[in-house]
Amino acid sequence: MNNIYLPHLVTIDEIIEEAPDVRSFKLVFQDPALRESFEFKTGQFALYSAFGLGESTFCIASSPTRKGYVECTFRRSGRVTGGLAQLSVGDTMGFRGPYGNYFPVDEWKGKNLVFIAGGIGLPPVRSVIWNVLDRREDFGNITIVYGAKTVADLVYKEELKGWDERGDVTLVQTVDPGGQTPDWKGKVGFVPTVLEEAAPAAENTVAVTCGPPIMIKFVLSTLGKLGFADQSVFTTLENKMKCGVGKCGRCNVGDVYVCKEGPVYTAAEIKRMYNDF
Amino acid sequence: MAEKILSKDGLTGLIASVTENGGRFIAPTIVARQIVFKKVAAASDIAGDYVLARNSFKEFLFPQTEVIAEFKLGKDKVEMSGVEPRTPYTVVFGARPCEAASLAGLRALFTWDFVDEFFTKRDEKTVVITVGCTRGDDSCFCTTVNLSPEATEGADVYMRETEDGGYSVSPLTDKGRKFVEAHELAFSSGAAKLKPLFSPEKIKEVDLKRISERLKDKSHYDDPVWAKLARKCIGCGACTFTCPTCRCFDITDEGTAFEGERRKNWDACQYDSFTLHASGHNPREHQYQRWRNRFMCKFNFYPEKFSSKGCVGCGRCIRVCPVRLDITDVMEEFSK
Repeated sequence: MNNIYLPHLVTIDEIIEEAPDVRSFKLVFQDPALRESFEFKTGQFALYSAFGLGESTFCIASSPTRKGYVECTFRRSGRVTGGLAQLSVGDTMGFRGPYGNYFPVDEWKGKNLVFIAGGIGLPPVRSVIWNVLDRREDFGNITIVYGAKTVADLVYKEELKGWDERGDVTLVQTVDPGGQTPDWKGKVGFVPTVLEEAAPAAENTVAVTCGPPIMIKFVLSTLGKLGFADQSVFTTLENKMKCGVGKCGRCNVGDVYVCKEGPVYTAAEIKRMYNDF
Repeated sequence: MAEKILSKDGLTGLIASVTENGGRFIAPTIVARQIVFKKVAAASDIAGDYVLARNSFKEFLFPQTEVIAEFKLGKDKVEMSGVEPRTPYTVVFGARPCEAASLAGLRALFTWDFVDEFFTKRDEKTVVITVGCTRGDDSCFCTTVNLSPEATEGADVYMRETEDGGYSVSPLTDKGRKFVEAHELAFSSGAAKLKPLFSPEKIKEVDLKRISERLKDKSHYDDPVWAKLARKCIGCGACTFTCPTCRCFDITDEGTAFEGERRKNWDACQYDSFTLHASGHNPREHQYQRWRNRFMCKFNFYPEKFSSKGCVGCGRCIRVCPVRLDITDVMEEFSK
């Protein structure tokens, strides 16, 4: 029988402590054939299980351009993530996916890209960032605006440093007022405000954003002010999911099943949805 | 005209014939003074003269809880394996025309792109026999959703009660015809006087077309009337559990740190934890938003998305509601 709820087994190959209670896992499939054949697209998500505790949904935070493994980043906040946080390198967990739609990165060739993320909303955006950086010549200017509550809460600190040092990426980092440290060299302010100051040109540009719902709301409005057309702005909705395959009934935003018709949407699509966020 | 008849004695033979072959015969029976769908062993167990069972028969296709996988954590490795659902040959007898119509929606949902074989394998092995309604009550509203006491949607075999306590038998699908053939000794030929059906004129009716149109216009979503209408809902979820079309579920692990099982359990959109994010954000924070979702699911999402009925008008949610929140009152509001 084809059991759509049965996960693959993966081994934790590496753990990175990103921020307080936030960590990344690098996962390798235990089945050697699957390790070779596994493919996904940037923006897709999966369900990760801690045995005995259940499954949680996160995006795949790595880029499909990097083969042989997948990465996820999560905050310890509930039962399943609490269980996952107790695992060590070499331990086994479950992986079910990839599910959902994806960012149409191939259609963006020749365009400038602006990435706007807040807090733990960076992981899905990071998959896109590495995807485009791994074929940098296909795209125009790349701008990244990333913010978190405090300096400690910024995730992928090493990668941020790397992006900052690259000559072909403009990185603007910010922390919420009060979240700065004495040696903080980035901006202080909320992401939408900092985005407005940075004012990336909307001409021939695609914007990708993810973060807390309230941040996304204001970022979409700021992008509108900056002249971005709704169909050039993409975001990913991370609703609670249990099945990931359109059955369990909880991820819907009105008539839209995020797990199947999403999680990636343009701002134009978001604006057509029921107010059910 | 000679037709197929199932007499009282024939029913006893039919139950024996089904159960002898390892099948289960599900019918309305009396448990704690309530009519409940349950496995029965004899015709005398089957309740007569009822409106409809308290539970819908969906639990025999989509159980309240079921194991979908098992895992074992050893010293050096973890084993996880899928579990095959138990799918005995199942005969559901005495379902009402309204609830049988819920099958189309369940089938659409469980086979939408990804096929949930826990449902389809049971569905394949299940024969649904409906009996036309000779009774109805204040909570019935099947005519509103274009059904009736003699609707046949979803039924493999449709029966009518006869004055002498038997049934006239009309097989409707291939599965139904094969069923009647396989147990032909239980049936006889002849003519019988049929009991009159419950009159559709006595069933309350709301203008469904008008509701569908109103719900398509998204502006109603932020109408304060939703909060007003659903204010008394206490979020118990009883409506969803008794509903033949509701099919939301949760997936959870049970067991110890070393071995256990993964289960699919019924869940309900009426619970606050249903959509609660890990961050604390809840897209449906208030009860009226959850109630609105349920109503929209039934009268907009299901018809539009799965081209099937999200509500079959059986009225179970009205009968079971502890605060008497009547879905037809809300329908009235949106048919204005």
